[in-house]
Amino acid sequence: MSTPSTPPSQPASLPRSNVALIGSPNSGKSLLFNRLTGLNQKVANFPGITVDISAGKSLIDNSTEYLDFPGVYSLHTISGEEKLAVEAFYKAMDADHLDAVICVVDATRLEKGLIFALQVVEACRRYNKPLLIAANMTDVLEQHKMQLDTQGLADALKVPVLPISGKTGFGLENIPSAIASAKAPTEAYGIAGDIIASDDSLIHRQAQQLANKYGPKGDLLINAQTKLDSFFLHSWFGGLSFFVIMYLLFQSIFTWAAPVMDGVETIIQVTADFVLARVPEGMASDFIADALFGGIGAFLVFVPQIFVLTLVVGMLEDSGYLARAAVICHKPLRVFGLTGKSFIPMLSSVACAIPGIYAARTVDSPRKRWLTYLAIPLMPCSARLPVYTLLIAAFIPAQKALGGLIGWQGLAMFGIYVFGIVCALLVTAVVSRSNAELRSDLPFVLEMPPYRLPSWRPLLRNAWNRSKHFVTKAGKIIFIVTVVIWFLGYFPNQGASLGDSWLGTMGQWIEPVFAPFGLDWKYGVAILTSFLAREVFVGTLGTLFGIEGAEENFVSLSQQIQDSGLPIGSGVALLVFFAIALQCVSTLAVLAKETGSWRLPTQLFISYSIFAYVAAFLTFHLVEFLV
Amino acid sequence: MTLWDLTQGTSATVSAFAASIEAGYRTRLSELGFHPGESISCVMAPSLGAPKLYRVNNTVYSLDDSIASMIEVA
Ligand SMILES: Nc1nc2c(ncn2[C@@H]2O[C@H](COP(=O)(O)OP(=O)(O)OP(=O)(O)O)[C@@H](O)[C@H]2O)c(=O)[nH]1
Ligand SMILES: [Mg+2]
Repeated sequence: MSTPSTPPSQPASLPRSNVALIGSPNSGKSLLFNRLTGLNQKVANFPGITVDISAGKSLIDNSTEYLDFPGVYSLHTISGEEKLAVEAFYKAMDADHLDAVICVVDATRLEKGLIFALQVVEACRRYNKPLLIAANMTDVLEQHKMQLDTQGLADALKVPVLPISGKTGFGLENIPSAIASAKAPTEAYGIAGDIIASDDSLIHRQAQQLANKYGPKGDLLINAQTKLDSFFLHSWFGGLSFFVIMYLLFQSIFTWAAPVMDGVETIIQVTADFVLARVPEGMASDFIADALFGGIGAFLVFVPQIFVLTLVVGMLEDSGYLARAAVICHKPLRVFGLTGKSFIPMLSSVACAIPGIYAARTVDSPRKRWLTYLAIPLMPCSARLPVYTLLIAAFIPAQKALGGLIGWQGLAMFGIYVFGIVCALLVTAVVSRSNAELRSDLPFVLEMPPYRLPSWRPLLRNAWNRSKHFVTKAGKIIFIVTVVIWFLGYFPNQGASLGDSWLGTMGQWIEPVFAPFGLDWKYGVAILTSFLAREVFVGTLGTLFGIEGAEENFVSLSQQIQDSGLPIGSGVALLVFFAIALQCVSTLAVLAKETGSWRLPTQLFISYSIFAYVAAFLTFHLVEFLV
Repeated sequence: MTLWDLTQGTSATVSAFAASIEAGYRTRLSELGFHPGESISCVMAPSLGAPKLYRVNNTVYSLDDSIASMIEVA
């Protein structure tokens, strides 16, 4: 947590009550927070997802502000991230920033939640803060006809206990009034004394007794979970299902998204032809054709892929399977210096490195987390997808291989994905063996979340938001870059000759850098602009080919590249270059924020740039030699 | 015998931590319920040395060999 965002002191004219949501990891705080505030914090069925405190105004009455805290197992914890959360919690209590506390307890794992709740009762008693215990996930209990005696529990603890479900929304309307009437606990529960600092086994015993007395009876849920575990972690079926799931993930991006992508491309094409037919020839029509449709249109085609990828990764996150995948991958990843927990950030990075870097907080061992950071920028993120798709469409024939079983293009895409992952693992393997830097290590201990059927609505909403974010955020950069590129490429000779334009003159200086792998200056310029964000490559190239080409109609960029006669070695070299180079300003900035300094991002940027250049150079010569 | 030696479907009571265990690990394990006197069962022992799944009351945790072998059981 870089800045525990406890709100600053409130102006006196605005009496606003701050309510903290705390609880053990994966108890459903963030989903509840989203429901109460209408915000969109990340929710996933894996412990330790929330890493920063976020604040949001209540939808019901906006004088209440809720604070979503990262989950912690104990209030006297000592492990890194959790310690920061606990400190922030105490600080907020101490500075009187909190007016009430809601302790969220997973009713299906009551004992675990109560261990923490007992500590919270004691903390609230000391700080004189009103406390409400929210027994969450009651929808699951109901589904299995299980009972929770909230009244009995409330009487025993002398703290109100409210049954709720963050999923169905059950009981949420009672929260404001329950908070308003909640009081600070006055009695210590059970054996008086220092419960927070006392021996764990004492709290455990008390929590156990309470759970046995008032909680749902029976082993139904845990037995169901174990049954599924014995399939998903089975020697044969476990490995097999892992590969099937990863294959489906990969397939979904390409097969499900393909028709939509074609649709978007057609729409752009039709719109372009329609608009251009109505604009008089001249500079305006050139600008519309080259910069707007050529540059920005080329990148909009990839939005459906981002949508599908986010959706599928979200499904996996919600199902509880990721924790099993972490168990399966632990031993193999250890060979490369990583841990099973690195699997989740690495998988998220297939969508985008930024959530991947945040997800790396779930890797509790500082050393392993640091190594995971090295791997993340090499994972094939979706910003590379437009570049890969473009280059593969331009260079790889659309024929079937292996007796029609799979297309060459699909195989090439698979190959470049595997290439990125292999690079990532090789880097961590080498660095973990050669770097004896003393970073503390932690063993692998992971709570297994329950299996759940993913709930569609939040997943779709999340995928939609991410696509929107992609369009607005990346779209803005791409728009500016393409306009600048178009301007420099169009003048001073009104697009008559790209080579003699201002950009062409500048390009001549860049050309020698990329000439060793057979690329002319247009690609050089596109690569340089892509250091802002990878997708910009496609936009820039689209604009440049647009100015250069004299086509009347819209011709796809891959077709134009194909027609330009670029050698295949250069195409493959470009693929390799993009697989390795760290061309993403946001990744660097987030890494700096997460590691607390610019040291690691700077090192990674320089070394991955050199690595990418050398690998592309070797690839070019190898391919040209072979072909 | 250590926790790591438990086979699938068996359970045992934690007796002590290995002397070499770091204080930090020990606290973390205690927080989760792995402390002397607690009965723990091994619900799943995947092959190829993957981390095993242990049940403490109504929660299941997975622990790898490096840490499970530091918890002595009887
Ligand atoms: N069935 C059901 N699932 C829920 C409920 N509340 C949350 N979940 C699910 O539980 C999982 C964890 O929810 P989160 O809100 O991310 O939990 P959290 O407490 O914020 O977790 P951390 O941030 O990791 O501490 C997600 O898969 C949610 O969809 C509920 O009331 N019913
Ligand atoms: Mg959360």
